[in-house]
Amino acid sequence: MPRIVGVDIPNDKAILISLTYIHGIGKFVAGKILKEIGIKPELHASKLTEDDVSKIAQIIDRDYAVEGQLRRQVSQDIARLKDIGCYRGLRHRKGLPVRGQKTQSNARTRKGKRKTVAGKKGVKEIRT
Amino acid sequence: MGRSLKKGPFVEPKLVQKVVRQSQMGIKDPIKTWSRRSTIVPEFVGYTFMVHNGKMFHKVFVSEEMVGHKLGEFSMTRTFRGHSGVKKEVEE
Repeated sequence: MPRIVGVDIPNDKAILISLTYIHGIGKFVAGKILKEIGIKPELHASKLTEDDVSKIAQIIDRDYAVEGQLRRQVSQDIARLKDIGCYRGLRHRKGLPVRGQKTQSNARTRKGKRKTVAGKKGVKEIRT
Repeated sequence: MGRSLKKGPFVEPKLVQKVVRQSQMGIKDPIKTWSRRSTIVPEFVGYTFMVHNGKMFHKVFVSEEMVGHKLGEFSMTRTFRGHSGVKKEVEE
């Protein structure tokens, strides 16, 4: 099992897919990388030579923010929005959708599990 | 979708004039404005704007990180006082 950029150990799938196990690399970027070094995307990751692996690692290192670095970047961006007190920052702070979606219904990804309010219209029995 | 780069950022021309005039005179008074749609450009850093929210003017001191946002993003238009019957909201 090859090991690319730190902890990531993609398995015995096609490398196009294996590379997407790295946070920050999707199919599109994986395809671009493989095209640059000229590896067939269907080739299984186990068949990679040492040389291929180091080439891939090099390209990722050079062009892409990945894993911890990317996560840090994203959370910094959010922290910045919160810090300057703009609308998007406030939405992040409140844990509500940031991009203008409706919140009367749905928005469960941001709001988390339903909190039932007793006595509210439509609530017949208390769900747990 | 973002705005075409060709056009450059949109700023109310009058507002730019006001900032330019202030910088020539070397003063930094709060500038009252209704132009929530104006982008904050680097020249605005360090100035205070009074941004209308439909009812009153919110004081917005422009810092460097705010460049690229619109003035309206810093002046909330809605008041949310909480739901009825909710005694204590658990903080995030």
